[in-house]
Amino acid sequence: MNQWLDERLHISRLNDKFLRKAFPVHHTFFIGEITLFSLIILILTGIILALSFEPSNAMVVNSFDPGTPADPNLVPAAYHSALKINALPFGDMFRRIHHWCANIMVAAAVLHMMRIYFTGAYKKPRELNWWIGMLLLIFSALTAVTGYALPYDNYAYNTLKEIYAITASVPWVGPWLAEFAFAGRFPGEGIIPRFYGYHIMLLPGILLALTAAHMLIMIKQKHTQPQYAKRIAYKKIVGVPLITQQTPIMIMLALLFAAIVILFSAYVPVHPVEHYGPPSSQPIEGIKPDWYLLWVFGLLAIIPNTLSFDLLGGHFSAEFIGALVLPMLVIGLMFAVPMLDRAKDNMYYAENPTNHPHRLAAGIAFLALLIVWSVAGYKGELVANGYLPSASANAILWGLSFLIPAIAYGLTLAYVSAIRRLRTADEREQERAMVYGHDD
Amino acid sequence: MTRYKVKDPELTRRRFINVATGATATVGVMSLLGTLGGAHPMFRMTEDKKPPMEGDILVHADPAKEGTPITVADLGTTLVQAWPMGTDAEGNKIIRKGEPNNLLAVYKFAAGELSGEANVEATIDGQVVAYSDICTHAGCPVPDAKDGNGMFCPCHSGQYAPKQGGIVVGGPPPHKLAQLPIVAEGDNVKVAGFFLTPPYPYTDEATWEATKEAAKGA
Repeated sequence: MNQWLDERLHISRLNDKFLRKAFPVHHTFFIGEITLFSLIILILTGIILALSFEPSNAMVVNSFDPGTPADPNLVPAAYHSALKINALPFGDMFRRIHHWCANIMVAAAVLHMMRIYFTGAYKKPRELNWWIGMLLLIFSALTAVTGYALPYDNYAYNTLKEIYAITASVPWVGPWLAEFAFAGRFPGEGIIPRFYGYHIMLLPGILLALTAAHMLIMIKQKHTQPQYAKRIAYKKIVGVPLITQQTPIMIMLALLFAAIVILFSAYVPVHPVEHYGPPSSQPIEGIKPDWYLLWVFGLLAIIPNTLSFDLLGGHFSAEFIGALVLPMLVIGLMFAVPMLDRAKDNMYYAENPTNHPHRLAAGIAFLALLIVWSVAGYKGELVANGYLPSASANAILWGLSFLIPAIAYGLTLAYVSAIRRLRTADEREQERAMVYGHDD
Repeated sequence: MTRYKVKDPELTRRRFINVATGATATVGVMSLLGTLGGAHPMFRMTEDKKPPMEGDILVHADPAKEGTPITVADLGTTLVQAWPMGTDAEGNKIIRKGEPNNLLAVYKFAAGELSGEANVEATIDGQVVAYSDICTHAGCPVPDAKDGNGMFCPCHSGQYAPKQGGIVVGGPPPHKLAQLPIVAEGDNVKVAGFFLTPPYPYTDEATWEATKEAAKGA
């Protein structure tokens, strides 16, 4: 059969070009694969969910609790179909798998980026893939956000209202932009069909295209080689080929990953739509975005309201600065990494993070800053439980935003220099042992 | 043998292709803009989307008793959420909740407790006061603070003092909660006019004035 196919499709060329791609063997090189597996599971479960979802916010009678003919219990169709999905065999399970995979995908992408950052793998020639990776991260977060709008329960409704407010806070064009993106003034009749379109067509399309580009560039440029490859065969590509050695590892990992996600989903429920109920005027106690957007949320909570100004007829509100300008600076900084830290020659080998203490320390300080801002997202709870005084909570949290990253930076440098001192001491010891023999 | 002299063409191939590509791209983008225009629907101010209007009756917004008129006896120092209820041209009762930012917060404080920026003229006997219940920061509905100290927005920790005219006492909100002038009508609470200051989502007087005119005219 191979020959039959080969004569028609030249699969041996495909084999030579792509299927023999060498994969370095190191556990951190599997994090990116986990991101890919999450995407595949998300697409599969998403297709199943889309078969039963009704993308409309028109009001329908709730068939689970119809009320009386005179006073019917009307709920949005999208919310109603979410209830129906929950009532299907395995319906709730698919929702949970979809939800957990979305969170894991972003988490795995972040860990994958950390590996790239700390080993300097973004340097020449791989800058392009770092930028495509950044776009993948941004579009993953956008896809996730449009996704949790779809059940259209009170939580989704309040979240959407807030994202609408953030969009409308853009100077000059904000209100127009928000009405354009949300299909009319909030909550317009077209809002759920619009977000359904974004979530199942537009954004996954972008994600798949970017993923394909990411993979092709990776195959073309090859992985950075782990340090051990230098010792085995200098400047040669070391690793196991995709077919046949890497494939079984990948399949095993994918199955294991799917099993863990399903196990997780079986025991940890997600977003109970019944609990929140259909959209209403009731505020939601402790409403928070998903963890990867918590830092923006925290930033909004501590930004002072005095930070607003008018310029050339446009209004720059504190909300615009907190929810769009500062996060864009943060994201811009991440985009700029390959330009801030450049290599003259093409990189072959992943660098040992301890050989680049300032890069390592800067990365850790950056993560510490995002963690401080995420904690600031709990400002309300912190104040209510007496951990922070109400009056100076903002000042304290802003102080910590500078202090904690600075401490993290200093500690990392100290830690790295201690490691290096031990390492050189070890080397000296070994040299001495080589010459004079061991003491014992 | 005939010799043909090749004349310089008036238009080179490269130039022709560039012009053709440019023209196609222009037409394409123009028609695409038309499609995108359809993605931005018109806003129509229907009765249920008008802001609270003079003569509206305040009704409960709590889903359990939504639509029942609020009586002064229902009110106290804890928040009561309300919708304005008006009538359309045929005299049918319309709860104006098509615009979710019409949500109102109604309180009744002891006489003399209202101070600061509260407009006592616009309250009932200086005791019953109504504000917009929508946080001026990101548009979340604002509940009472759990510690009993004014109002606290769960979204980004905005704090308001309803006894002092709904002013901001903490957090990121840029404006105070807009006060709605009310009068008593029997046991019920009637709206006496538009919000005294621009409510959420209006950030400037001009657009708020335009909305008021549109609501009056429609």
